[in-house]
Amino acid sequence: MFNKENNLEKFKDAETVIGSSIKVKGNFQGQGNIVIEGSVEGSLKTAANLYVGNQAVVVANIDAKDAVINGEVRGNIKTKNYLAIGKTAKITGDLNYGEISIEKGASINGQLLMLSEDHKKSEKNKEERLLKESTKGASI
Amino acid sequence: MHVYIYDDYLNKGKYNRKINRLEIRLTDLGLNGKIIRLGAIKNIKGAIQNEIKNGAKTIIAVGNNQTVNKIIGSIIDTDVYGDFQKKTLLGIVPIGEDNSIATSFGIKNADEACNILLARRIEKIDLGLANNFYFLNNASISGQGTVINMSEYTIETTSKGEIDIINLLSESNSHRFANPHDGKLDVYIKTRGGDGTHFTANNFVINNPNGELLVDGVVAVKTPVKISVARDKVNVIVGKDRSFE
Repeated sequence: MFNKENNLEKFKDAETVIGSSIKVKGNFQGQGNIVIEGSVEGSLKTAANLYVGNQAVVVANIDAKDAVINGEVRGNIKTKNYLAIGKTAKITGDLNYGEISIEKGASINGQLLMLSEDHKKSEKNKEERLLKESTKGASI
Repeated sequence: MHVYIYDDYLNKGKYNRKINRLEIRLTDLGLNGKIIRLGAIKNIKGAIQNEIKNGAKTIIAVGNNQTVNKIIGSIIDTDVYGDFQKKTLLGIVPIGEDNSIATSFGIKNADEACNILLARRIEKIDLGLANNFYFLNNASISGQGTVINMSEYTIETTSKGEIDIINLLSESNSHRFANPHDGKLDVYIKTRGGDGTHFTANNFVINNPNGELLVDGVVAVKTPVKISVARDKVNVIVGKDRSFE
């Protein structure tokens, strides 16, 4: 999903797109890729990838597999894998990530914490276990 | 046995030639059957339900979106629905304006409809449900002031626009997708000057104190409206050029 050369671009195959004149309040959860151009208040979670556009305002804790942040985020961000922060991003909150890139001009007010190898392994094991369980369920 | 349900507006003289031509074509193809004219009967539901009880293999709506909705409304959630789902197919012959449902199924005109009825390509289709009203295509409401309430969160628009809840696209559209087999509805919000919003959902409540939800462009339903999906509800005869896979 994230090409390291153009990793700040919006992905095209998003399952959910929240436009610039849309306001979401509450615990927003998805399984597929999510694009946010509007505002979100509450929490934001996806098992896939998240893109926050440069006009977006997110007042929520974020949990995603990979994330690209170009807008304003007030809340903690946790990504299992890759977190890309663009030059227009304004973040107030702690960042937890597998890998990170930060463009010049980005503003971050919070702690940066790389997930430990043990944590990454346990997340990977958890994913594999869930996948096995779902495959087992399907074959019954 | 084929049963053709002619909508009452087809009694107008301007449709005579089209109807004559249709009937000749159906006879040529060996597809002729019983004709019920809605204008001539008072108990539409009873008449359609009787035909299903009597073993109709295909019920064919001859008319427009409203004709299809009248037939679906006469069958779903009634005693005959079990028989209808097991034994009866729904066909459409579009005549006149307002035929987006037929277009979704790849049926452009009455001539093409005859060939499609002959080919009998069948798809099981979900129906959207807005309170007690089923819809094949879509339901729409003005965007401003509308709140969509999912179980865990709400979505509201901050500027003027339109919200479309789509089960089945009325025509192919490279910017919009909808699959009437997936048990979900595709919600599109288009606002003035803003970019589009899209998500899928299968159970939510839509509310706008100043607006009504328009179901399949025909029925206006006052909000709040509970929206859900009824899976694999109708077996429809479709064309190759339908708007879904």
